[in-house]
Amino acid sequence: MNPLPPTDDIDLALLDALQDDLPVTSRPWQGIADRLGIPEEEAIVRLNRLTAAGIIRGISPVLESRPLGLHAATLVALRVGEDRIEEVAGIISTYPSVSHNFRRDHEYNLWFTIAAPDPEGLRKILDDILHRAGIRATDALNLPTRKKIKIDVRFAFLPVHPSERYDGPD
Amino acid sequence: MDPTDILLLRELERGLPLVPAPFMEIGKRLDLLEDEVLQRIRKLKEAGIIRKFRARIDQRKVGVVANALVAWKPVGTGHGDTGALLAAFPSVTHCYEREPVPGRWEYTHYTVHHGYSRESVEGEVDKIARSIHCHDYVVLFSTREFKRVPNVRMGENGGGCE
Repeated sequence: MNPLPPTDDIDLALLDALQDDLPVTSRPWQGIADRLGIPEEEAIVRLNRLTAAGIIRGISPVLESRPLGLHAATLVALRVGEDRIEEVAGIISTYPSVSHNFRRDHEYNLWFTIAAPDPEGLRKILDDILHRAGIRATDALNLPTRKKIKIDVRFAFLPVHPSERYDGPD
Repeated sequence: MDPTDILLLRELERGLPLVPAPFMEIGKRLDLLEDEVLQRIRKLKEAGIIRKFRARIDQRKVGVVANALVAWKPVGTGHGDTGALLAAFPSVTHCYEREPVPGRWEYTHYTVHHGYSRESVEGEVDKIARSIHCHDYVVLFSTREFKRVPNVRMGENGGGCE
């Protein structure tokens, strides 16, 4: 892993503020800058820098799945041979209905999520993935969502000085 | 939602421009006045289509390198609603209940945790386990991110609305 891009305490406070719901006003950055006690212009410079460094991937709306017709979702775990993991992950990631696809430290080493209009649609996509990837059903766990209890992606960023940052394997 | 809302959402999910008046800029691209953009966004929020407006952050790049999914198997009853108990911990960013695979995978509750080190995440999970009296769980650290995008994307999976 490359060394972490430089961030200071104001960057971290800015990242923290950007995890709250952004004000839907003409000058949203001004609102955030006021909270941090910095000029709007500085906030915009920092936003651009954090974006260029790949720390901010974009500031965008979180859409609800149900009003948009996605009523079924599942998490799937696969047991994939070491030599095939890149290839299988590559096949899975090409599906637009797959939003998350991670390698994990477990016997089931590839975990991904699928969303679809209904359970039947979900089933078809999963069957297609398993077929194309050549994975047996006995090497797959299909774990459909019963209930979303909490979704609150929020990182509690600590002020960390560069010398103290953990820079280990990703 | 009308066709203009759909165009607006597609434009917004590309990310707000980092200029002083980003909604005016979005309006220019769609030939809408800034006020109309703001009003449409407010209505989409009231209608529950937009849950919130936030930054998507690559936490690994700011040192949050330990990211785990934890699968829990609640034991019997008598300890309350496991899902609600788990969700109540501030460090839990996601909590889902899922179908098990009988005989092969009996876990039904899933939480997501982030930290600066594996040790800190393991410590937090252990604290939660003791607190809710659930000791049958597995910690699944992510070691590689192949794909991570919002699960609803107008431009790509568009829901079933078109």
